[in-house]
Amino acid sequence: MTTEHNVLGRSLPRVDALDKVTGRATYAADVYLPDMLMCKVLTSPRSHARIVSMDTSKAEQVPGVRAVITGNDFPDRYFGSGAVRDRRIMARDEVFYIGEPVAAVAADDEVTAQEALELVEVEYEDLETIVDPLEAIREGSTLVHPDMPNFEGYGFAMGGNNCTLLDADRGDVDQAFRDANQVFEETYHSQAINQGFLEPMACAANVEANGRLTVWASTQGPYQVRAQLASVLDIPLSSIKVNAMELGGGFGAKLRLAFEAFPALLAMKTGRPVKLINTREEVFTLNGPRLATTIHLKTGVTSDGQITAREAHSVFDVGAYLGAGPNAGVGHALGAYDIPNFRLRSYGVYTNKIYVGSYRASGVADMHFAVESHMDSIAHQIGLDPLEFRLKNVVKEGDANVSGASVPANGLLETIEAVKEKMSLPRKSEEGRGIGISLGEWRSGSGPSTASISVNEDGTVSLLTGSVDISGSDTSLAQIAAETLGVELDQVIVAKRDTDMAPFTGPSGGSRIVYSQGKAVQMAAEDARDRLVGLAAERFGVPSEALSCEGGRVYVQDNPPQSLTLSQLAAASLTSRSGPIIGMAALSSMPYAPVFNTQAAEVIVDKATGQVRVTRFVQAQDVGVAINPMGVEGQLEGGAVQGIGRALSEEMQIDPETGRVRNPSLSTYLMPLAIDMPAIENILVGVPSADGPFGARAVAEPPGFGPPAAIANAIYDAVGIRIKELPLSADRVLAALQGQDGDEYHIDVEALKKAETG
Amino acid sequence: MKRHLNLTVNSEPRQILVEPYYSLLDMLRDELHLTGTKKGCDEGDCGACTVLLNGVPVTSCLVLAHSAHDAEVTTVEGLATREGLHPVQQAFAEYGGLQCGFCTPGLIMSAVGLLEKNFDPTEEEVRYAIGGNLCRCTGYTKVVQAIMAAAEQARP
Ligand code: FES
Ligand code: FES
Repeated sequence: MTTEHNVLGRSLPRVDALDKVTGRATYAADVYLPDMLMCKVLTSPRSHARIVSMDTSKAEQVPGVRAVITGNDFPDRYFGSGAVRDRRIMARDEVFYIGEPVAAVAADDEVTAQEALELVEVEYEDLETIVDPLEAIREGSTLVHPDMPNFEGYGFAMGGNNCTLLDADRGDVDQAFRDANQVFEETYHSQAINQGFLEPMACAANVEANGRLTVWASTQGPYQVRAQLASVLDIPLSSIKVNAMELGGGFGAKLRLAFEAFPALLAMKTGRPVKLINTREEVFTLNGPRLATTIHLKTGVTSDGQITAREAHSVFDVGAYLGAGPNAGVGHALGAYDIPNFRLRSYGVYTNKIYVGSYRASGVADMHFAVESHMDSIAHQIGLDPLEFRLKNVVKEGDANVSGASVPANGLLETIEAVKEKMSLPRKSEEGRGIGISLGEWRSGSGPSTASISVNEDGTVSLLTGSVDISGSDTSLAQIAAETLGVELDQVIVAKRDTDMAPFTGPSGGSRIVYSQGKAVQMAAEDARDRLVGLAAERFGVPSEALSCEGGRVYVQDNPPQSLTLSQLAAASLTSRSGPIIGMAALSSMPYAPVFNTQAAEVIVDKATGQVRVTRFVQAQDVGVAINPMGVEGQLEGGAVQGIGRALSEEMQIDPETGRVRNPSLSTYLMPLAIDMPAIENILVGVPSADGPFGARAVAEPPGFGPPAAIANAIYDAVGIRIKELPLSADRVLAALQGQDGDEYHIDVEALKKAETG
Repeated sequence: MKRHLNLTVNSEPRQILVEPYYSLLDMLRDELHLTGTKKGCDEGDCGACTVLLNGVPVTSCLVLAHSAHDAEVTTVEGLATREGLHPVQQAFAEYGGLQCGFCTPGLIMSAVGLLEKNFDPTEEEVRYAIGGNLCRCTGYTKVVQAIMAAAEQARP
């Protein structure tokens, strides 16, 4: 799609660049209000225990302490972050993991608050603990929540510790396995990881003179925070205003209510503003990370390399509460391939450890590692080139996807070709040096989206949406508005939003902002444009069709000098019949638009140490249309590096006995640094989507999920070992090189099947 | 007990009352409300709090405020002049060297520190100079490009 665009498709600097390079951008921790108190949270040191008694009197007497709250100060109710209402905002009579909040203090400063916390006396009585999800899913194992069946929202699952079950079936899988020439079975495991956002969670709250609560939050979903906060405080949703502050990274971790309820209740108690800022340790221990997932795959293949059947059983650790949706990864168990028969299951399992949260392509990333490693493994076992084997099986336009929807036109094959060429594949491997590839699919995010656009009397355009900027989405939205209205980007003002001012919008996550929110912005801009054109048509006495809106003015196509500027029109509109120019749009969902990518890693494996170094990383993605190519590349590069970190070094080490996070710091949880990373090479493929704004597709999720498989496959190519557990750390690689069998995880598939059939 | 501290912050002499246990970072943020300098860990691991102390990049969370007595401190707020942005700031904006922006002030200060002593860094030298600055969003590719471009611009 190469129609003439003026603003769209240009690598313009971000609309918030100036604020951010000068240090003026205001994040939640930067909120300072007169008389503000600081809040600290006391957490449980026990994995699973009954709270026998709690005494806060000594803490209350510390000079400078203004209030202390415990679970009993909150209304007696449960809330849920995922489907199930399984959780209290602060423990009442039982704690379910180490790190669960049990009390909070507001004091004149953080040091005093911390001092007071240490004086809160809690008596615990330990209960039985279960930490390993593969053990927890077994029948008869210790129960984390014996009253699970009574949880509101608990739906279809097997019971016990199994709280969610997703399934998808097609065809006769058993028959297909019997008919296949070869059947392959493997188990993969991905580790618990932290989202690694650089801005620790922070929030502030204040009660206004009229009794309403104002909250400053570091969040991807201000409306979700508002609704959940109203629920846990048992106050009307409309009595809360959430200011979405500049967001210092979230990647899914900040989609829902975090700790806003603590400063909120303390502000209500003290009548003073209260602020809470997480320490880095708290980022690791208080806020839901992505927990481990084990996946068993079984695949039937014909003699010529056609896949006929797939079975997937995925067990994912939920921790103490379902802090995110049920694992969507199961819907990606087919990968980017057309497989006629399948049986796919995903089981969420409660354990006594920090609750699960969302992280960039939650669940899908784990599944992707398993599927794309498995594909590679099968290819080698049947003696086909890994790329050739994939090409034999890739989905094509018109195939049915996992939910039966027809796959629309897309750029999958182009992405494969592009990477093949850039990496000169197939390439003969050298000892110790290898290349691995992976293909993936994501579905552009949908959900409620709104936008309003007004044209100011000076011809500038004010854009109001409820969505929080992540990854430059504000800039893309502004470019969409500018393009549609025929103005320059610097003529668009993006309003900072709060939940009182902006219309409801779904959270910024799942790669939905440009695709869905962008569509709403485009529609709102078209609405505003139609009104401008209508007004001009009236003035000129010509039909609207005879006019164009471009270059900051509306003109008669046959006689361009006959024109009115947006400024003139906006000014005229004030006294016109239809009033000031304002465009609006709302939508609730968008059609299925897949995003395909191909990624390739080149690695060097040091056989003496097991150290893996990524020397090149190439990726091609079908982005539909790049609204801002520089922004898109930035997304692809950042995603790829997160994926490389997940592949090689990142792991939340969780104590197998207690569920405690053993490495809650950035010196022990190892995220990639500039010195470890190659420059990322990107190729943008553009097969426009049917419905996205100007044909755009989602961008942010896919680049993050390919690196683990691509790197594992590259390691195989380099040294001939297949590692099925993440991370692909030096000691694991070394152990495999020394011939140690790494198969540490086992899912009892037969037991799961039996439980299902009754 | 708060004690007096004299130092120069962004070319302005300041006398401030500060607790003895305060870090330079907390002093800048809580006392001077220079909130451009960020706290990502408070443990010296992330680089978000990087400022120039007598011209040298330091992680201000690991520096006691009182140890900066009589020193000269430059924060991200002190880079732009009436004439405009510092070339490093300009390059970060132009080359897309930032996303969420939380690491940006620290990265910019590390880069400014580098370019003050090395006008002509190699890509590897740039990567080492920002080796203590974590960025979760960008993957560093565009950050490195921006710093290389700024170096080119700043060369006499
Ligand atoms: S806050 Fe100082 S290094 Fe992280
Ligand atoms: S831009 Fe977000 S951490 Fe660097």
